[in-house]
Amino acid sequence: MQPAGIEVRGVTKRFHHQPVLDNLSLSIGDGDICVLVGANGAGKTTLLRIIASLTRSDSGEVIFGGTNTPMDARRAIGYVAHQPMFYLDLSAAENLRHYARLYQIPDENEAVNLGIQTAGLENTWDKPVRAFSRGMQQRLSIARALLHDPTILLLDEPYTGLDQDAAHFLDEKLHSLRQPGRAILLAAHRPQRLLTIASHIAWLKDGKIIQHLPVERLSESPELVNYLQEVA
Amino acid sequence: MKPFQRYLKTIWQIVRKDIRVEWRGRQGIPVMLVFSLLIVFLFNFALQLSPELQAGLTAGLLWVSLAFASTLGLNRSINLERETGALDGLLLAPVDRSAVFFGKSLSNFLFTTLVALVLLPIFGLFYQQNLFHPALILALLLGVGAYTSLGTLLAALSIQARTRDVLLPVLLFPLALPVLIAAVEASRGVISGQSMGELQSWFLLLLACDILFNAAGLMFFETILEE
Repeated sequence: MQPAGIEVRGVTKRFHHQPVLDNLSLSIGDGDICVLVGANGAGKTTLLRIIASLTRSDSGEVIFGGTNTPMDARRAIGYVAHQPMFYLDLSAAENLRHYARLYQIPDENEAVNLGIQTAGLENTWDKPVRAFSRGMQQRLSIARALLHDPTILLLDEPYTGLDQDAAHFLDEKLHSLRQPGRAILLAAHRPQRLLTIASHIAWLKDGKIIQHLPVERLSESPELVNYLQEVA
Repeated sequence: MKPFQRYLKTIWQIVRKDIRVEWRGRQGIPVMLVFSLLIVFLFNFALQLSPELQAGLTAGLLWVSLAFASTLGLNRSINLERETGALDGLLLAPVDRSAVFFGKSLSNFLFTTLVALVLLPIFGLFYQQNLFHPALILALLLGVGAYTSLGTLLAALSIQARTRDVLLPVLLFPLALPVLIAAVEASRGVISGQSMGELQSWFLLLLACDILFNAAGLMFFETILEE
């Protein structure tokens, strides 16, 4: 098995001639959980979308476990975005089955059942997603992203709109996902909750990563500590 | 599984998903059908044409109602993918993105064709003509195919725009003009009893539009959807 990991090299992205990411480089190792912090509009979502190959960068490249071919990259990535990516009139099971087929998962029934269990939706698997709360949709979204057992997991503000139970569910899930063979990048505006789970923290400001260090060495960067206190 | 089989399976999966969503929501085809029927009724009662004039106008009215109804369906089809970011879900999947285009295009084609098949007997009733003619069905299939493949491509192009609902018809109607002209001329010829030999050029133009717009989708769909 190839080691998981993300290497972003010199990525630049401009929207309407305004640079959002400016020659940005970032490396996330196999088994790491890196939390990406930065103000609203700093470019966290843009960076995640470029890594997920949903947005094209103006320059630079992203390499996954040694490969940068688009199809292999998409096979390796699970992405939890702001939006749940579901068809609201279909049930949870039907949505998961749709994605299982697109990912050509050999035993789709097993994958869907596991996904329903992962999301804790055993009693509502046949209900339309339209009837789900934000927390239920987010749990299902995480199950969808994990359906094909990705080696790269990207989560964009995963705690937004979650109630305490759903947030606790996500904490446990992230703990269980931190293991060799997987690299996780989480974008968060208010990352305090994630600092107990993450192995690394990266600070995105002015289109660049201005700090990137292990969480246990956070005290070495007073500016980052101050920033985290400000946004808390 | 061979790559081409996988490609076809992806197209079929998208079509199957669209049919299921339509069956559950029933928000696309019924609206298209009601809208096209309203056009038939409005024209029929507003114009009060003589039977001779009606015969000449049947093909034009049929295609106007189909074009409007299909545009509604195209808007609904792309909004379905946009409303919860499901399009990103499709683009994230390890599948050829042109297969997404063909899947969406085929769904739109099937839904519009279904509306057309319901419309035909109603037109026949109003305008006292039997419209179930094999050549007319062929014109419908070729015309709807070209219109929906161009429409799917333009709907993808307009998805990021704030005015997407208005932008689609504004882009689509002028660009689809060759398709509509050829489809109306071919249909009018069939209804008035002209032979296939006489109408060959219109059918070939429709076929060329089908090939051109599907090739454009194959080449440009991925580029259009990437930000």
